[in-house]
Amino acid sequence: MLLQAKGIVKRFGGVSALDGVDLNVPQGIIQAVIGPNGSGKTTLINSLSGTYVPDEGSIQLNGAELVGARPHKIAQQGLARTFQNIRLFGTLSVLDNVKVAAQRHTPVTLLDVMLKTGAHKLAERETEERARAALDLVGLGTRALDRANALPYAQQRLLEIARAIAAEPLMLLLDEPAAGMTMTEALALLEIIQNLRKRIGITVLLVEHNVRLVMGISDRIAVLDFGRKIAEGTPSEIQKDPAVIAAYLGRRRAHA
Amino acid sequence: MKTKALILGLCACGIAIIPSLLGEGYLIQVLNLAILNAIVVLGLNFVTGFTGQINFGQAAFFGLGAYATGIATLAGAPWLAALFLSGLVAAIASLALGVPTLRLRSYYLAMTTIGFGEIVRLVLIHWEEVTGGTSGLRAIPPISAFGFRVESQMASYYVLVFALALAILFALRIRNSSFGRAMIATRDSEVAAELSGVNTIRVKVLALMIGAIYAGLAGCFFASTIHYISPDSFTNRQAVLLLTMLIIGGTGSIWGAVAGAIGLTMLPEAFRFLDQWYLVLYGSAVIAVISFAPGGLASAIPNVVTRLKAAR
Repeated sequence: MLLQAKGIVKRFGGVSALDGVDLNVPQGIIQAVIGPNGSGKTTLINSLSGTYVPDEGSIQLNGAELVGARPHKIAQQGLARTFQNIRLFGTLSVLDNVKVAAQRHTPVTLLDVMLKTGAHKLAERETEERARAALDLVGLGTRALDRANALPYAQQRLLEIARAIAAEPLMLLLDEPAAGMTMTEALALLEIIQNLRKRIGITVLLVEHNVRLVMGISDRIAVLDFGRKIAEGTPSEIQKDPAVIAAYLGRRRAHA
Repeated sequence: MKTKALILGLCACGIAIIPSLLGEGYLIQVLNLAILNAIVVLGLNFVTGFTGQINFGQAAFFGLGAYATGIATLAGAPWLAALFLSGLVAAIASLALGVPTLRLRSYYLAMTTIGFGEIVRLVLIHWEEVTGGTSGLRAIPPISAFGFRVESQMASYYVLVFALALAILFALRIRNSSFGRAMIATRDSEVAAELSGVNTIRVKVLALMIGAIYAGLAGCFFASTIHYISPDSFTNRQAVLLLTMLIIGGTGSIWGAVAGAIGLTMLPEAFRFLDQWYLVLYGSAVIAVISFAPGGLASAIPNVVTRLKAAR
């Protein structure tokens, strides 16, 4: 198992946003986590990436414990993520945004930078290659020198993905990547995600509100409701699961 | 490429002949002060401009550097040792301030640096045996290294221009490296920077420390070119003025920081005839820049250029 999360509990005041969630993700799959609003999806992704520290439970990535580590350490262990509300480095260029994540593979000293040594130049070249490769994977190669906050919304989402994969992580967490996109944009995004797995063999954990989007692309789906996992399986198993239909699909139908 | 070299060459010539136009005296001393302020504001640009942390301690770091050199060289230490000491003292002070407060978010650095500035001022005033109290230190020996003694203001000017050129060069290199990107990423989104593998606490402390070293080294040059220092030069009022120079020049812009510092140090001389009214003009100018060009003059110039081109 690449990711093993056991008994994660996260409370806010008296409310348990996560109430003992287990999640095991094997290498190389696209795992989705779905659930109605307020079911704990975002809390789960924030707990995995270290934005929140869970009150109980353990999270292991490739055998290394993540609970209690600062977010940059977790990123260095091989976890990268995107955000539901886009968080780019708005004043940096598109290329520099991606370089920020890519540069951890080629550390240099401040002295190297000030004296512009060979080590610094080599590191910059390698960082640039990594960053350009990541931009090409999401199709943003031609926008490299634009300011990040000048990109249209859908491309900003792609830039977040490029930045995440430029770190060359073991696992990519996508927090509602299609939020706010048109159907066409969302379908193009799904194709890019599938491509990423094909081309760089990355493991993806996808948190998504839109069930239909998830069904076509995921290998496995976990369903959360009120901070508990109520079902897990392949997309066809999930579609038939009575508990899921009652808690989520059924409720949505009732609304419609 | 050729035009770039030509412009650089013309600038160099211009900079080289300025002292012979001004002659030895008051004006060249003001110009020297302007260059020193430019180095200090360039330092402030690392932590406030790039990294987005408000720092009111820059004048105090400048003062620590100046007093370190003043005290050491008056006691007979060689100038180069004093230069090193000034940088070191400022670096240590910045670590002592930055490590505990930069773990916290947003305005904590602003509050602690205000306190720090006040502490430094009070120590300089009351530790009379060492600092000379309110009357300060006099007859500080001039810059002297590698067998050269830099006695006149005109000679100091060339040394300071060289120091400023190095300060700009290092700032440009750091800006265009992994360190500069990490600083700006930390300012734009601390959460995303951290989750991209950037140790944001370390980046903030580093930016504060590089800036403090700039100020400390500039303090050394200040003491050994003006030859007289007193607590008045390093107050919190001075710290606010340094921040104003950065804001007017353009936070986050290296050339803006230099222009803001030199402009705001020289302009009071040009408008001396306005007397008390100068402060009114000054205040209005600050308000005008903040409302019409919030990114500072550095951000306004490209806008003006594109408008002129469009008008043509």
